[in-house]
Amino acid sequence: MIGALALLFVCQLAGEAVLRLAGLPLPGSVIGMLLLFGWLALVEKERPTLEAVSAWLTAHLSIMFVPAAVGLIDQGPALSRYGVGLVVATALSTVLTMAVTALVFRWAARRGEPLQDAGA
Amino acid sequence: MTDLLTTSIFWLSVTLVAFETADVVSRRSGRHPLCHPVLLATPALIALLLATRTAYPVYVNATQALSFLLGPAVVGLAVPVWRQRALIRRQAFPIALALAAGAATAIVSAVGVLWLFGAPRAVLASIAPRAVTTPVAMAMASQLGGAPALAAAIVLFAGVVGAMTATPLFDRMKIRDYRARGFAVGVSAHGIGTARAFQVDSTAGAFAGLGMALNAVATAALLSLLALLI
Repeated sequence: MIGALALLFVCQLAGEAVLRLAGLPLPGSVIGMLLLFGWLALVEKERPTLEAVSAWLTAHLSIMFVPAAVGLIDQGPALSRYGVGLVVATALSTVLTMAVTALVFRWAARRGEPLQDAGA
Repeated sequence: MTDLLTTSIFWLSVTLVAFETADVVSRRSGRHPLCHPVLLATPALIALLLATRTAYPVYVNATQALSFLLGPAVVGLAVPVWRQRALIRRQAFPIALALAAGAATAIVSAVGVLWLFGAPRAVLASIAPRAVTTPVAMAMASQLGGAPALAAAIVLFAGVVGAMTATPLFDRMKIRDYRARGFAVGVSAHGIGTARAFQVDSTAGAFAGLGMALNAVATAALLSLLALLI
């Protein structure tokens, strides 16, 4: 349990260090995610505790960002000025992105599959 | 007595109770996207802050124990992706292509439309990461000079829209492949879309989770590239 937490913490810490050294405008946690992925590939073994701890954290993500969402309390001016734009842009972009992603996936999967079938 | 209103234990208790209550309502609604616990708990907590005349920085400071966990939770997203590595390798071509197309479409369309409304850079920076999971979006927004709270609200709204429109949209487009449907929902509507995908079909759910995790990295990489260029 502590070992799994330590692995997650150390990956994030290393991520924070990397972004400071490289001057990247990325969140340290995202680099930490890549580093953990690399670590899992490097030291391949069963990790039931790490899987349980990260699954627990992922399952409870929602409550962790409640304090940030409450910050809307100070966003009144932006919301009243650009509220309509925000709603329209977010809704349009969400639907368009789903359509584009699904179409590209289907097109690429169809191109790739005949080759795989020939090999099977 | 009133000094309790600045303590962590007060605001953590209130936040947990508000969330748990919202979660019960959400469960009773059959997990309807409009009844997402964050959507219900946040306005209630804002009302409480206003009623007690608590400044937002006091609340943020008091609830740091919760926000702190976001970092390690994002790091942990690597674990399910690692477990799906065989699946990723088998479908590498469609996954990579759809991911690149989806990540770019999400950023360009959201920022482009909002720009037409005349929004300034700080607001544009808050909508740019709108397709990724909330903690990553908040971190990206603040890196780009946006407002994390605004980013969180936008992302939440995007998730609700995605979860509610995915099935009718794909049916109308005659896309029946659950891998394509799931992946698209995960890329565009992150965790809320993924939860919806799991309700529809387990293959769709697995691909949605993959789309969400991969897009966190793709969008973060694209946006930081943009930030370096601008």
